[in-house]
Amino acid sequence: MRIFLYSLQTALKSIWHEKWINLLTVLSISIGLLILSSFIVITLNMDSVLQRWSKSFGLVAYLDEDLTKEAESTLEELLRQDEDILEVRYISKDRAAQEIQAILGDDARILEDFRENPLPSSFELRLKTELLDPELVRKKAEAIQEMSGIEEVQYGEKWLSSLSTIAQMMKMGTVFLGCAIFTAIIFITYSTIKIFFYRRKDEIETLKLLGATKSFIRLPFLLEGLFIGTTGGLISAFALFGLYSVVLVKIPELLPSVTILILSLPLEAYISVPLAGALMSFTGSFFAVGKIRY
Amino acid sequence: MIQFSDVTKYYDDDLVLKDLTFTVGKGELAFLTGPSGVGKTTLLKLIYAAELPDEGNIVVAGWDIRKLKQNTIPYLRRHVGIVFQDFRLLFNKTVFDNVALALRIHDMHPKEIREDVLEILKEVRLKHKAHIYPQHLSGGEQQRVVIARAMVSKPTVLLADEPTGNLDADTSLAITNLFREINARGTTVLIATHSKSLYQGTGRRVFHLRDSNIEKETVG
Repeated sequence: MRIFLYSLQTALKSIWHEKWINLLTVLSISIGLLILSSFIVITLNMDSVLQRWSKSFGLVAYLDEDLTKEAESTLEELLRQDEDILEVRYISKDRAAQEIQAILGDDARILEDFRENPLPSSFELRLKTELLDPELVRKKAEAIQEMSGIEEVQYGEKWLSSLSTIAQMMKMGTVFLGCAIFTAIIFITYSTIKIFFYRRKDEIETLKLLGATKSFIRLPFLLEGLFIGTTGGLISAFALFGLYSVVLVKIPELLPSVTILILSLPLEAYISVPLAGALMSFTGSFFAVGKIRY
Repeated sequence: MIQFSDVTKYYDDDLVLKDLTFTVGKGELAFLTGPSGVGKTTLLKLIYAAELPDEGNIVVAGWDIRKLKQNTIPYLRRHVGIVFQDFRLLFNKTVFDNVALALRIHDMHPKEIREDVLEILKEVRLKHKAHIYPQHLSGGEQQRVVIARAMVSKPTVLLADEPTGNLDADTSLAITNLFREINARGTTVLIATHSKSLYQGTGRRVFHLRDSNIEKETVG
């Protein structure tokens, strides 16, 4: 404990003594983390929007013209038992006609030319969210198509594919940016701590000759790295909070329809920023101190 | 306390020490002499494991140097006080802090550190300069700070590499007397020097190093 306190004291002295380099490092880290956390927040919001859109996504299974009421009921029961299907909604021929009339409005008169209702009965099916992958949906549609009494299955293939691509690109972008910033912060801290390490080379050599253990030599540098990363993260978290608060106020004014789509960030999200900073800087410091040989 | 058995040491292809065998007993004060570059400093480095022998065995205060792992070297060094030729004082720390550094690594209580440091500074007659930075001290005073730092953790062995190399005759005498006092308390002392005046008339064993080995052993 006394060694820890002495190391802490040494680290704090060094932080003050090298305040300008430390300040630059802290600011670099906070900018990096702010960019990363902002991108994550944007991705989360986009994901939330996509999730909302995908909830309204469905397949429509059109039924054979000559299907009896009993056969329709049996088919509906089979679909309801399918674990991949969240919701099954039966649309009768009459209901389909009413809906299309509602959509067409005054243009619905074109339907009067038909002697009989040309629209088939159908089932509107909503799949589980985790199945909303273009390939999985295609397979599911094919499986339903194979069922007896099903004439045709339709779904927004292109729309789903685009949605899926956007979501994947956003996630990949976040991972790529995360890796780049993670590496950059490690490198920034590595360079700073390496400079301090070289500046105190004589002291380290003397400590080794006096019998200091490796952990005694390393600890002040690791604590300094931890301080730099945590401070950078805290500044970034406060900046994120400020920016996000402004966005929450401004967006509803500029784009009223978007308001409901913006997520409010939980406290854990703000806490994770300095923690990430601390982890990255600690890693950088660890590599900077490197192997100590006697 | 210090035992060399057939020790050979090379620096790359250059032979520095060859089949060196000698012993310094517990509580003994001995001198190691020879011309510059003969290997005195290397021999001392072998004792505190800054270098390892290529052949032979070295035992210091019960520690077999060849069997030491990197992680155990610090614990050997806590038993060996070293007075360096170039002092190795830290100029951004006061005299007190320079000496205290040797105790901080022992996880000692700050109160104990303060007591022990002031005690040793009193013994080397520098207590009144405890809060001065080393650059404001004379060469002799700096050397006494180094001795205080080497002795404050009460090591069983004290090594000194040319301890009077940069000092005038009077200061050298004072430093020599200090080593005698330290030795009188039971610490084994080995002093490497090329200065005859340091060991002449001491009545102590002197190892003369020449051509990679001890050429002769005399009494000073």
